[in-house]
Amino acid sequence: MSSKFWYLTGESFKKKVRSKWFLIANIVLFVALLAVVNIDRIISYFGGDFSSQKEVMVLDQTGYAYETFRSNLDNIQSLLDIDYDMNITKREENVDALKEEISGTDTILIVLSSSDTAYLKASVISDSYIDTSFYQYLYQALSTTKMDIALSISNIDLEEYQKVTSDMEVERILLNEAQTSEEELMNTVMGVVFPTVILPFFILVIFLVQMIGSEINEEKASRSMEIIISNVSPKVHFFSKLVSSNAFVLLQAFLLIVYGAIALFLRSITGGSSLTGVVGESMGSIFTTLSDAGILSRLGIIIPLTLILLVLSFLAYSLVAGVLASMTVSMEDFQQIQTPIILICLLSYYLAIMSGMFQGSIVIRVLSYVPFLSCLLSPALLITNQITILDTVISIVILAIFNWAFLKYGLKIYKVGILNYSTDKMWHKIFRAAKKKGSL
Amino acid sequence: MLKVAEVTKYYGDFLAVDNLSFEVKEGEIFGLLGANGAGKTTTFRMIMSLLEPDHGEITLDGKKIDYDTMEKVGFLTEERSLLTKMTVEEQILYYGRLKGMAEDVILKRLDELLERFGIWSYKKRKIKELSKGNQQKIQFISAIINEPKLLILDEPFTGLDPINVKKFKEEIFRLKEKGCMIIFSSHQMEHIEQFCEKLVLLVKGKVVLSGYLKDIKKEYQKMNIFIQGGVSKEELEKVPGVLKVVQVADEKQVKIQDESVIGDVFKVVKKYDTRKFVVEEASLNEIFIEKVGEVL
Repeated sequence: MSSKFWYLTGESFKKKVRSKWFLIANIVLFVALLAVVNIDRIISYFGGDFSSQKEVMVLDQTGYAYETFRSNLDNIQSLLDIDYDMNITKREENVDALKEEISGTDTILIVLSSSDTAYLKASVISDSYIDTSFYQYLYQALSTTKMDIALSISNIDLEEYQKVTSDMEVERILLNEAQTSEEELMNTVMGVVFPTVILPFFILVIFLVQMIGSEINEEKASRSMEIIISNVSPKVHFFSKLVSSNAFVLLQAFLLIVYGAIALFLRSITGGSSLTGVVGESMGSIFTTLSDAGILSRLGIIIPLTLILLVLSFLAYSLVAGVLASMTVSMEDFQQIQTPIILICLLSYYLAIMSGMFQGSIVIRVLSYVPFLSCLLSPALLITNQITILDTVISIVILAIFNWAFLKYGLKIYKVGILNYSTDKMWHKIFRAAKKKGSL
Repeated sequence: MLKVAEVTKYYGDFLAVDNLSFEVKEGEIFGLLGANGAGKTTTFRMIMSLLEPDHGEITLDGKKIDYDTMEKVGFLTEERSLLTKMTVEEQILYYGRLKGMAEDVILKRLDELLERFGIWSYKKRKIKELSKGNQQKIQFISAIINEPKLLILDEPFTGLDPINVKKFKEEIFRLKEKGCMIIFSSHQMEHIEQFCEKLVLLVKGKVVLSGYLKDIKKEYQKMNIFIQGGVSKEELEKVPGVLKVVQVADEKQVKIQDESVIGDVFKVVKKYDTRKFVVEEASLNEIFIEKVGEVL
């Protein structure tokens, strides 16, 4: 029976990996990750003609603003470390004549005029839309020019102006010094935990639930289930589905990490900075924060506990999905019934996000013990020091007990469900199967 | 020997099979008959260990059927139980491995069977690309790939043309000669008459008829006389013991109460110019319709 179990598991795993959808999904994931990690390079590469020379005409109707504006354009380029290839010409003609001149070209006309109420007015005239970043650059230069003119007219020096407009200085003093570290730590850690752990986990749970459901449904719908179950016990069949699906999900998780690493590597070789440099920039600050707060030493236990929770949660989701799939008679039924499972996972996702906003919430803490929710919530609370290691251990124990109980009763339901082809009295059949005594 | 002893199965309060008993010996083909919902599928599922009987016992060679003994059992289900995205080779390998067979043994036997059924060229084709008839052949091959000791055939000839029905029959008789126990279920009674020495007729889970086919026909007593000639339908109907006369084309089919009536019918017929006078036992189809009709 053991060899049949491994044969079924291997076949189920191979079937998933050899599927063309697996290939397509992974190509899409790889390209998407590559794009996300290198998005700035891609935008720069396809971003149009912002690298070409910009033609700018300035019509100064004030008679004094042009030089200040010109100087501010240079200053801002230097300040923001940008380098536009720009040709600026001061013009004296009539506005209408200049408008006619720029019509049908990429040239931008800036008309500076005085204002009684706002010191300086400007019109930016072009034949079509201007590149957004370049417009922002012009706007910044115009705003600074207006400020310079206003200060000059009002006879206020720059130093005085900066004092007036500087941010209010508030010194926050916390007697418990550790609190400041924790707050900083929470923001930093949560910013990294969500995109790197929680989002992939959520995607993988959806993969898992759909895979188990579709495979069981296919075998049921084709009636090949009767042949299979007459040769192996429902228990062996169920476990083979659990093991192959969870192994597939772990493979997919590994591939996601590989894709991420490749994307970072490509970034490093195309951008000139090393892989460790790219990763190190963000990770370095996290490790410094963790170390300062004394959390780094706890990571040795936090990471294994989180991994145990995640693996047990994958098992819990696949158990529920498998048992529910056995009771459905078509893929449409399963798609309907899987929606609550996905919503529970989504709830766990949102609760983990909200835990940062509602620190100390008793409800969130209690929910961190609940199977299906604990997978994301408990590690999030543990990392941000809202619960202790003991709380996470309790969550693991509860989840393990749930899995054991669900396996015990779920297998009985599964045995009846996989040979059930009718939705009549479904709940009655489920309860009767769960209550039934006997071996599987 | 397969022994089904006093087996009863309930689905909740619904009695699906009631106190069913029969035996199938080596090299015997046994007919399990019944109208839709009679309990045939439930009986097959109990033999295949898919369902536990509430009462009674099913044994193969004196042992309760378990997953090890199932390796020597073949099952052809009424619906096509094939994973249609697989190729023919993958499908047979899959079922063969579940029967505990080695891969090289499966492939060797698969080649032989594909050759025998004239579909060797479909070995690498996906099942969903095959015609219904060829899918049925693949299903049959999957049921006999392990040279089963017990073979259950539920409507095996569905979707087959007469040439392929003949091939299936040859294979079934070959397996019978090798000592395979075969349980045969079909709604086509002529197939049952061709194959089965013994049978059970189920109606609403209860046995209404069982035993050797020849004994069943003998006990049934009613017979048919097929006549071609000048005698009229009305004259035949007047003969005591004649139950029914049906005119089909130029032939009259006379149903009689028992064999004692044959002489009286012949006395009437011989007065006329008669080309055909053939006496036959009642067909299983007639027995089936009458017995099932009595209960329903």
